[in-house]
Amino acid sequence: MSALEEWLRAATGPMTSELVQRPGDFGLGRVPARLKPVGTTTSVCGFCSTGCGLKVHLDAEGRAINLSADPAYPVNLGMACPKGWEALTPLSAPDRATTPRLRNRATGELEPTSWPVALEAFVNGFRGIQARHGAAAVSFLSTGQIVTEEMALLGALAKFGMGMRHVDSNTRQCMATSHVAYKQSFGFDAPPFSYRDFEESDALIFIGANPCIAHPIMWQRVMMNRRNPEIVVVDPRRTETAMAATLHVALRPKSDLVLLYGLANALIARGAVKTEFVAAHTENFEAFAAFVTAFTPERTVAETGVARETFERLVAIVAERERVSFWWTMGVNQSHEATRTAQAIINLALMTGNIGRPGTGANSITGQCNAMGSRLFGNATSLLGGYDFGRVEHRAHVARILEIDAASIPEAPGLAYDQILDAIDRGEIRGLWVIATNTAHSWVNQGRFAELRAKLEFLVVQDLYATTETARQADLVLPAAGWGEKDGVMINSERRLGVVRKVARAPGEALSDFAIFKLVAEAWGCGDMFRAWRSPEAVFQILKELSRGQPCDFSGIPDYAAIERAGGLQWPFAAAEAEAWAKGDTVAWRDRRLFADGKFFTANGRARFYFDEPRPLPEPPDREYPFLLLTGRGSSAQWHTGSRTDKSAVLRKLAPTRLYVEVHPADAARIGVGAGEAVRVRSRRGSCVAVAFVTPTVRRGEVFLPMHFAQVNRLTFPAVDPHSRQPAYKAAAVRLERCHDDD
Amino acid sequence: MVASRDNFPLLRELLAEQQQLATPVARFSAAHASAAPALEPVYRDLIPLTAPKPGEQFAFEVDLDACTGCKACVSACHALNGLDDTETWRDVGLLVGGADRAPFQQTVTTACHHCADPGCLNGCPVLAYEKDPVTGIVRHLDDQCIGCQYCVLKCPYDVPKYNARLGIVRKCDLCHGRLAAGEAPACVQACPTHAIRIVTVPIAIPRAAGDAAGDFLPAAPAPEYTRPTTRYVSRRPLPENVRAADASALRVQPAHWPLVATLTLVPFAVGCFAAAAAVSFHGAGEESVIHYMTLSGAVVGVMGVAVSVGHLGQPGRAWRVFLGWRRSWLSREAMVFGAWLPLAISTWWWPALAGAAIAVGAAGLVCSAMIYADTRRAFWGAGFGLAKILGTAVVFGAGVVWLAEMSVAAATVMAAGVVAKLACDARVLRTLDEVDEDAPAVGLVASARLLKGPLWRVFALRGILGVSGGMLLPMAARMDGAPGWLPWLAITLLAAGELAERYLFFRAVDAPKMPGVVT
Repeated sequence: MSALEEWLRAATGPMTSELVQRPGDFGLGRVPARLKPVGTTTSVCGFCSTGCGLKVHLDAEGRAINLSADPAYPVNLGMACPKGWEALTPLSAPDRATTPRLRNRATGELEPTSWPVALEAFVNGFRGIQARHGAAAVSFLSTGQIVTEEMALLGALAKFGMGMRHVDSNTRQCMATSHVAYKQSFGFDAPPFSYRDFEESDALIFIGANPCIAHPIMWQRVMMNRRNPEIVVVDPRRTETAMAATLHVALRPKSDLVLLYGLANALIARGAVKTEFVAAHTENFEAFAAFVTAFTPERTVAETGVARETFERLVAIVAERERVSFWWTMGVNQSHEATRTAQAIINLALMTGNIGRPGTGANSITGQCNAMGSRLFGNATSLLGGYDFGRVEHRAHVARILEIDAASIPEAPGLAYDQILDAIDRGEIRGLWVIATNTAHSWVNQGRFAELRAKLEFLVVQDLYATTETARQADLVLPAAGWGEKDGVMINSERRLGVVRKVARAPGEALSDFAIFKLVAEAWGCGDMFRAWRSPEAVFQILKELSRGQPCDFSGIPDYAAIERAGGLQWPFAAAEAEAWAKGDTVAWRDRRLFADGKFFTANGRARFYFDEPRPLPEPPDREYPFLLLTGRGSSAQWHTGSRTDKSAVLRKLAPTRLYVEVHPADAARIGVGAGEAVRVRSRRGSCVAVAFVTPTVRRGEVFLPMHFAQVNRLTFPAVDPHSRQPAYKAAAVRLERCHDDD
Repeated sequence: MVASRDNFPLLRELLAEQQQLATPVARFSAAHASAAPALEPVYRDLIPLTAPKPGEQFAFEVDLDACTGCKACVSACHALNGLDDTETWRDVGLLVGGADRAPFQQTVTTACHHCADPGCLNGCPVLAYEKDPVTGIVRHLDDQCIGCQYCVLKCPYDVPKYNARLGIVRKCDLCHGRLAAGEAPACVQACPTHAIRIVTVPIAIPRAAGDAAGDFLPAAPAPEYTRPTTRYVSRRPLPENVRAADASALRVQPAHWPLVATLTLVPFAVGCFAAAAAVSFHGAGEESVIHYMTLSGAVVGVMGVAVSVGHLGQPGRAWRVFLGWRRSWLSREAMVFGAWLPLAISTWWWPALAGAAIAVGAAGLVCSAMIYADTRRAFWGAGFGLAKILGTAVVFGAGVVWLAEMSVAAATVMAAGVVAKLACDARVLRTLDEVDEDAPAVGLVASARLLKGPLWRVFALRGILGVSGGMLLPMAARMDGAPGWLPWLAITLLAAGELAERYLFFRAVDAPKMPGVVT
């Protein structure tokens, strides 16, 4: 090109070079030239339980400058959802908490303070409450979002060091049901599957799950299935996943227990029971078979609203396909009869012999990135490592490993999340420490939290941001380092331990939760109890010992580096697995499922059938509140209460900007609301304004609100499952009222 | 036990440790990894092996059956292209439809369609776009762009994105550098379900409405205008009643204040010259009055042209604006007003040039109207644009004459101009009588709803100002004992009304785009 041409038409220059790409090395392909890494490291994602490997691009100092999905990681095979791609962005948000903040009693404001002052306030606040009201008057509510080592340290510190009795975490909101269901049916909280089962199945039955939006990388694995599988989606709404299914069973909300019992009855009638397997490896089947005879096809279709032919097709698929896998998530877990519903799914897998073989299983898709770590090491419902608080030999065993006095271990599990809140209401609990969760947004019937806050003498919130709905109400805010600013291990849905790496410096004086717990232990005066808990990796060695001999045994894993080299390792990984691994038999150990030998973790080695009579909806629609409100994930770009995802401009752009409500066209016409108009959704507990999204993908008489908006839980009905105490977010009676935007 | 940081050694230690990072060297991170892209086996079948033949070009192909709305493509494009924090070149929308027995929804990923006849390229006044002669990729020359954002208005798919930090637009280049190196574009690499691939297509796809082979995507802007090359494929038919999830959303458009000012001031200037010519033709005015009119025209004209530069993100590059004259009305307008400005100023010394100034100025205003008409947006149709922009010159011109002569004829022309303009708005509103309440907000329907909805206050004000300044007050001024300031008030209200009209011209325009998500 001549100089004149270039002068007239600049094809190069500083702005053009901003977007120039260069080979990035490290298997990355081309990357923006100005973001070319000096090295990379893999960290598992800190949003959902899929546990994708993210390849973090590092500069010479080891700071993250970009990231991409890791092609070598066996979970995600080089793919990630938008949250994963944007995982670094929330770390540099301008509203990160950089110092502790203490509420000034005079001004009422949260004011920056120093760590020593904050720790003194922490100790004085909680010790004072304990002195006046007993040790159990202080509780914590934590999370499925921090690494396992931190969960274990928190649980041990709170219960063994600080004398707390009642502690729980937000995994109660998503996974408590699966935990209880598995524990009862299989003898241990043990999701049996590997993601490879998505690929190896002949029929995948998704119940109350929308993986296209909620777990896109799991859906990727479904799409990799080359067996021409039937994909059945059981969901009241025609979701993205239902659209992609070969059969959508659009049932009446919360009629799934009836559907599953009806399905079991029809399968028995059809002779589809694998009697040998049932006889050899299960118990209580006869009682179950007798129980479900009441769920005739006629009753089933009448009560579920499912077309007879759809029901028959579902029966045929489960009966005829060689490898049937069942997958459930929040549509099941968040229900007034959630545990029995999950167990109805487990029962189907057991009776049809669809367990322990490739492409089968009764598989709970977990929610949060480390819900599985929380379930094993949160020290809330189970004693550290999946033990029982109630058993003296378990307490002694754990005390021996931790080198503590067994008497410091409580003899019973404490109260669950909802019961802790009730205890606050009654004045029995006066101090609360909230870690990496956002109760004021996410708890069912959230309006009540404001009243409870007034009853708390001291509320400490430990979070990345001092701006969450809960942190804004705190007396003391402790600034935490986030994912990417610390090391540790998380456990994903398929029981895979993956490593999180420190690739960014926390802002100001923010500290990892691990460091904060260490400081609290020191300030509280129980630091000696945790001398061996020097670093996350030192704690990992302790956790290995706790797991030894348990179904979740991972004592065969040497260290973090071994997990990284392997691309994550699934439990169990004990001596036998380590030996096979050492011999180079790595492929066989990459994707493993449980129960191939038909042996379960119950005392007699048999899985047990559990069942109960279905119960009516706690708050059915009526004349005054004629619609049933469903809630759920609205977009793949939003994570829970949005405290992190709202910090990314890209994710904000990919998510709805305003709360919307899905309404069926006939209902919209009846109440006179047009598409895009504002409508007030009101329940007996509260109301919110939403934009009407008129769509036939939601059934008549039902409306749907995405859960990520803070207003939504003003409306939800506070029913809980009696076994798991998980709230039933997905069923509340509401009415719709026309209104104006500025209402 | 109050401790300070200094007598709390553990705190000091932990704070220091928090800031320590392991360097890549210490991590031995994948040092052995080869330079070859690890994902190559995954995307190998998703990109063409050879360059397009003559008459062909590269294009996106989207498998709608595989696109399930994860939106990874958008964020991967953002990360792998190193875009600014708020910048995205790809988007995902949603179609809904069907009925109770077969409810339907479909997510749609979309980026630049690398059109066969690109609106952006055709409108660019500085030739900052080029269509690659081999690949057909529509590329943007970032260092050539003057930041006029006309391409943003020209593209019916809302593809070019203005980057305020740089003062230019940027857009998807189909990762041409990656393709040239045998790598897949970022979105193709990142799609977990392989819904996006690059294919070779004939450039001459007919793309006529109703032509099955040329179907683009229901609920997307019609393809005849720019002939987008993206192919949306699906094995299942889309329901007939399918519509975008945001079909009813009303999107108030940016005001573009410098343009509002320019498009009010320049017609005012041309009107002043016309008024001076008319008054002098009648032989009724005094020399000084005629001179004041000419001076006002020159001053306002200079201001109008000057203020338009404020719209540019890169005014320093604006001298190239003539380059696009073959296709771009913006180039033509700039050239005409470039010639008009010295002409207008010289009328101060050579009043005989006034006729030329009027003619050239009017030609410039026609170009102005054509800039907007050429976007094919209904609210900016040539009829509306000419009535509004040339109409402003007429109304102002008549107003100035009326101010000088207080003649009935001038007042009548002024009133007629206002009536014609308000009639245009009435025509826009009438479209609402012709469609259902549920009709998608496209074309004049969108504009009418915007005028009656979020913009109703300004819209009402515009009517009141026009009627009072252009009709009621001039009538009142004829009555005995009317105060002397009344005509001046009338002209002021008239001017404010024109300004409001121009503001609404930009804010109430229908802005076509690909299907979006709800809210």
